[in-house]
Formats: sequence, structure tokens, C-alpha cells
Amino acid sequence: MLQQRLLAPLRVLERAIVPSLRSSQPISRPPPPSILSRTNTSAPTPFLNRLLPFSQVRHASHATQGTANRHSRDPAGKRLGAKRTTGEYVVPGCIIFRQRGTKWFPGENCALGRDHTIYATEAGYVRYYLDPERHPDRKYIGVCFEKDGKLPTPRNAPTKRKLNRVAVPRIDDAPTPIAGQSDLVATIDNGTMVSSVEAVNAESGSQLRPGYMYREANWQIGRAAEKAGITAKAYNPKNRWLAWRKRQARAERAAQMKSLKNKKKASKKGKGGR
Amino acid sequence: MAHCERAAKPLLQCLQKSYPRALPTLQVQSTRAFQTTAFAREEAQAEPKSQPFHKAPDPALVSSPRLERRLIRQGVSPIGSRRRRAALQSSPNVPFEQLPYQCFQEARKVLLADREEKLKEIVSMREKIARLQAVPTEEAGGEQVKKSRLVAMELHLERLKILADINDPLVKKKFEDGQGDMSKPIYRYLADRKWREYRRKILVQRITQMKVIPDVLPHCDPVVDTKLYFGRSPVQPGEFVNSRVSTSAPKLDVQLFDRGEKLVTIAVVDSDVPNVEKDGFDYRMHYLAVNVPISAVSTKVDLSKLSSDSQVVLPWLPPVAQKGSPYHRLSVFIMEQKDSKPLDFAAVKAKETTRDNKLLRTLQARYHLKAIGAHLFRTEWDSTMAEVMKENGYAEVDMELRRKRVEPLPYKRRNPSTFR
Repeated sequence: MLQQRLLAPLRVLERAIVPSLRSSQPISRPPPPSILSRTNTSAPTPFLNRLLPFSQVRHASHATQGTANRHSRDPAGKRLGAKRTTGEYVVPGCIIFRQRGTKWFPGENCALGRDHTIYATEAGYVRYYLDPERHPDRKYIGVCFEKDGKLPTPRNAPTKRKLNRVAVPRIDDAPTPIAGQSDLVATIDNGTMVSSVEAVNAESGSQLRPGYMYREANWQIGRAAEKAGITAKAYNPKNRWLAWRKRQARAERAAQMKSLKNKKKASKKGKGGR
Repeated sequence: MAHCERAAKPLLQCLQKSYPRALPTLQVQSTRAFQTTAFAREEAQAEPKSQPFHKAPDPALVSSPRLERRLIRQGVSPIGSRRRRAALQSSPNVPFEQLPYQCFQEARKVLLADREEKLKEIVSMREKIARLQAVPTEEAGGEQVKKSRLVAMELHLERLKILADINDPLVKKKFEDGQGDMSKPIYRYLADRKWREYRRKILVQRITQMKVIPDVLPHCDPVVDTKLYFGRSPVQPGEFVNSRVSTSAPKLDVQLFDRGEKLVTIAVVDSDVPNVEKDGFDYRMHYLAVNVPISAVSTKVDLSKLSSDSQVVLPWLPPVAQKGSPYHRLSVFIMEQKDSKPLDFAAVKAKETTRDNKLLRTLQARYHLKAIGAHLFRTEWDSTMAEVMKENGYAEVDMELRRKRVEPLPYKRRNPSTFR
């Protein structure tokens, strides 16, 4: 940049001065061949070399002292701080204070979130307070039920709580019978159950299944033993005799398989040897 | 390994049989250890082979789990740890005085000398106390001075009594076997220390974390060990108890660590009775008995068996929890009556008739009670609760509590027109 700007006036200057310079030069001293060769490429260089011996070329390899790394050094604000002030009304879940670490601690009717956010667990009015009886240096945020109530409450006073519930007639949570039991039944996300008519009264034997097959439903096949009245003996974990027999049988089978495997290998080896 | 064990078994049995299983008949002299074996062997041969060990296991020596279980089923609990019992099986069981270890015997002598010294100190301290009591109040420097000096001397006397026995290995063994005599100060001291090491800490943590302490009473420093049983099963502090189980009154085991007998008031309070109109919680007294005597040796209190015409003010009411209500904390408090004097039962019974909203704080102030023990169990809605509620005439059995919908705050524009 600097070079380009300086070059134009310097060229003018050179044109004016060069003839006189040439005349003043002693004839006995021949011009160096290097100058001659250079003149056809760039005329002003010999003069410039004399005039600006220390001019530096600056390439773009170094970052300028500008805004290049600004974004990593100065991130966006995280919008921390108080969201509700003293005396403001909050409902459960209402965020009162966002912070990094616990600058404030959750007091009465408040809780600490995953990122140390303090939020209300009861509806009430926000209080910022110190509680030296509980901790000498901690600052607490609490919610109190009355508009002009005070926090902290004394350590030996009964806690103030709210029920926050209404009484409704009791509903027994007995298991309700399932409407359509089949593997063709699906429930759509708005709660309606879709089941084909055949699937609902599937007790009556084989039917057209997906894949154009006439057969019983999977759940009916699973209940075949039940229908036939076959009962398995209940598993008794204390029956060590049965457990031992099973273990033994498994071990035997494993040994058998292993021996077969070995035979195969041996035969292969034998083939390879031949 | 198994093979060598099997091979060595007869040999080991032979060696073990050389020592008798029961010790009392053994008369050993430390200097003649070789003769003792021979003597014992003769004796073992002489005594008739009545029953093998596995038929009639000895609770002090049994170490296999199967035999232990059999003993427990018979109602006899094995003594000490299994490791100790296993070690005892093969030990010659020589009494301490006759053990042939010189250094050990020298150390015992030091301990015995210390005990003698402590006994002398006890005697002299008793004399001192008697002398001070004989001195008239004016000469002793006033009522206050004399009293404080007497109390300090009594305390020192108790301390000396404990110090006299604390280094005795037999005392330690007896205490660990659960055979300690609670009428003696040393065993009470050891029991108290053991309780404070773990069980009291658990109890205090539960009653403070579950906020029983500010909710029911402002303060409580438990000094008696309280265990709670429904039927035969013990209940840990804060455990959930099935409603069917808690229909009958629990049994208490109140271990006092002080000398003498105390008269206590026992109260069971539910501090979480939901009140929908008030949008809050009420209290309900589930049990109240006064003038219950407890001492270090008589610890069992069956709440259903206290006399209804001299002790029980409010009989046991099964605790319930309505469906949808948060868990109910049933706190049991043992309250010492002032100077261990009996309360006037008729007057208390006439005054305390209602159960609802009876605060333990007011009772404490009215009758000058002091909480010395506490326990806690919880109850919540379960499958048997509806029946229990119907049986006991709770009207709210048909109602269920549901969460009230909280109205969200109105949406507030974060950049109103005034900001723009």
C-alpha cells in the first residue's frame, strides 16, 4: 500500500533528476550489469534503493490489531441476575434469580435448579434475606405467604405450609378392562384406539393377518398352553436339587458341543496336513 | 484345598476334642499346661456321650449358620459374634488369671491396682459427701454453695464408679453378650455410649430433617433410647407403616440410662392432618398416657396394656392418611414429668378430651413436661387404608385430595412501548 502510493511521485522525481545524475557520473566507471538488467523490468528501483534503504514489506501473515479475536474475548451476556425483586408475587416454578454458582441460596419455599437457578415452589411474595442462625454468611431468597410477612422465621417456630389441594370424590384406581386386546390394535396420540373388527373378536380362530396370512393372532398363540390347561411347575429358587440338575445338563451339553467342535477342527487339520 | 481339609478333618477333630467344650469343670494351672490336656482327655472319655453337637448346639459355641438358625427358631439367640464363637470352639478357654503369659499377667496387675485405687477413692468420696451433708448450711457457706458442692461431688462419685470398672475385660464381654445388668452404672454407661454412637444420631437426623422438631415441639434432646414395635416387628425412625399394621397400639422399649425410676407422659401426635377449608394442616393426638413408670431395668411399655383408669387419657386411634394427602408424620414423644411426680389423672382426663388440634406445646407448658425421648413413623395412603378408615369412622374416606391448579402469572411484555 505504502509502496504503491509513494511510487508515483517518486517516478516523477526520478524523471526530472536522472539525466543530471547520469551526466555527473564519472564516465570511467561503467554502470554495473545488474542495473542494466534491472532497468528493463522496473525503472525506478535503483533510485528507490538509494532513497529508501529501510522500507519494509508487510504481508498479510500477521493479524492486525483489530477486531479479529473480539468474539472469543467478549462473549454475549448470559442475562443473569434477579428476575423478581422483593415483594413481587410469584407462582410455583417462577424463576426468581439466575446465577453462576450459588451467589444466593434457596430459602423457604424455594428450590435450586440444575444450573443453580432459584425458583419458587409455592405461590407468595419474594424476600431476599440473611439467616445467621442457619448459616453465618449465606444470602437466601425465600417466598413468604403473606404480602407483609417477614423472613427468616425463628428456628423453633412450626413451619408454615399450605395444602394446595382440593377435595374431590375418590376414584378407585382399579385396573380397567382393556377394550381391544390384539396385536392389531394401536393408540393414536390423541387417545383414540384403533382396532379392526376382526382383531377384537379374534377368539374365533384364524383370520387375515398382515402379509396376507390366515392364522391366529400372536397373543392367541402365546396363550395356547393356557387354553390347553397345561401348567408349568412354579419356579422355586430354593430347589437347589433341580438347579443342580439343570446346571449339570448344561455343562454336559457344553462339553458335548466342545468335543464336536474339537473333532471338526482336528479333521480339518488332518485334511490340511494331507 | 478341599481335599487337604477333608484329610485333616479327623486329625483336627481329635485335637479339638482334647479340650472340653464346657469349661467350668476345668482346673488348669498355668505352669503345667501339658498335664491339663491329658487330664481333660481322661475327663472327656469318662463323661457319657449324650448327644452330638449338631443335635444340641451350644449358643456360646455354635458357628454354622444352619445351627444358628435352628437355635434362633428355638428361641435361643447365639452369644457374641460368629467369629468369636468359632474361635471359642478350638480355644482351651483358660480363665484370665491362669493364662501363661507373663506380660499379660503384669498388665492385669496394673489394672487391678488401678481398680483398688478407684475403690478407695469411692469410699473416701462417700465419706466426704456424708460429712458435707452433716455440716449445717450456715457453716458450709450458704444454701447455694452447699448444694452445688454436693452435686459436683455426686457427679464425681458416679464418674469414679464407672472408672473403676471400665477396664475390666469381663465387664466388656458381658456387655457385648447382652448380659449386662442395667442396674449397675458401668453397664448403663456402656449402653448409653453405644446408643449415642449410631442410633441416637439416626433418630436426631430423622426428627430434624422431617421437621418434627420445629413442627411438634420447639426442642428435644433425646436421652432415652426408644424402640418402637408393631406386633413383633421393630420400626426404624421415619419408616412407613402399613395402615393395617398400625391399627393396634405399638409397643415401646424405653431404655433409661439414669439411676432410679421416672414417671413419663407418652404422646403420639399426627402433625399432618389436611384441612381443606384452612388450606393448611392440623394436628391430631392419637394417644396420650400419663404416669407411666420407666426405669433402667423395666423398659417395656405396651401402649395397649396401660391401665385405662389411671394412665391412658386418650386411647390409641389408628393413624390414617387420606388419599392424595402428603405423608403423615406420627411422632412419639416420651416426656418426663416434673420431679417424677404423678399428675392428677382425673383432672388431666377431664381437661384433655378432644383429639383434634391438641398441641403438644401447650401440654408441655401446662403440665411442666420435658421431652427426653422421641420416635417417628410415617403413614400414607395404601391398599388397606380405605377399610381402616371406614372401620374407625373417618368421614373423609370418600373424598380424595387433588392438586389445585395454580393460575399462571399474566404474560408481561418484556419490552413495553415505554422502552421503545
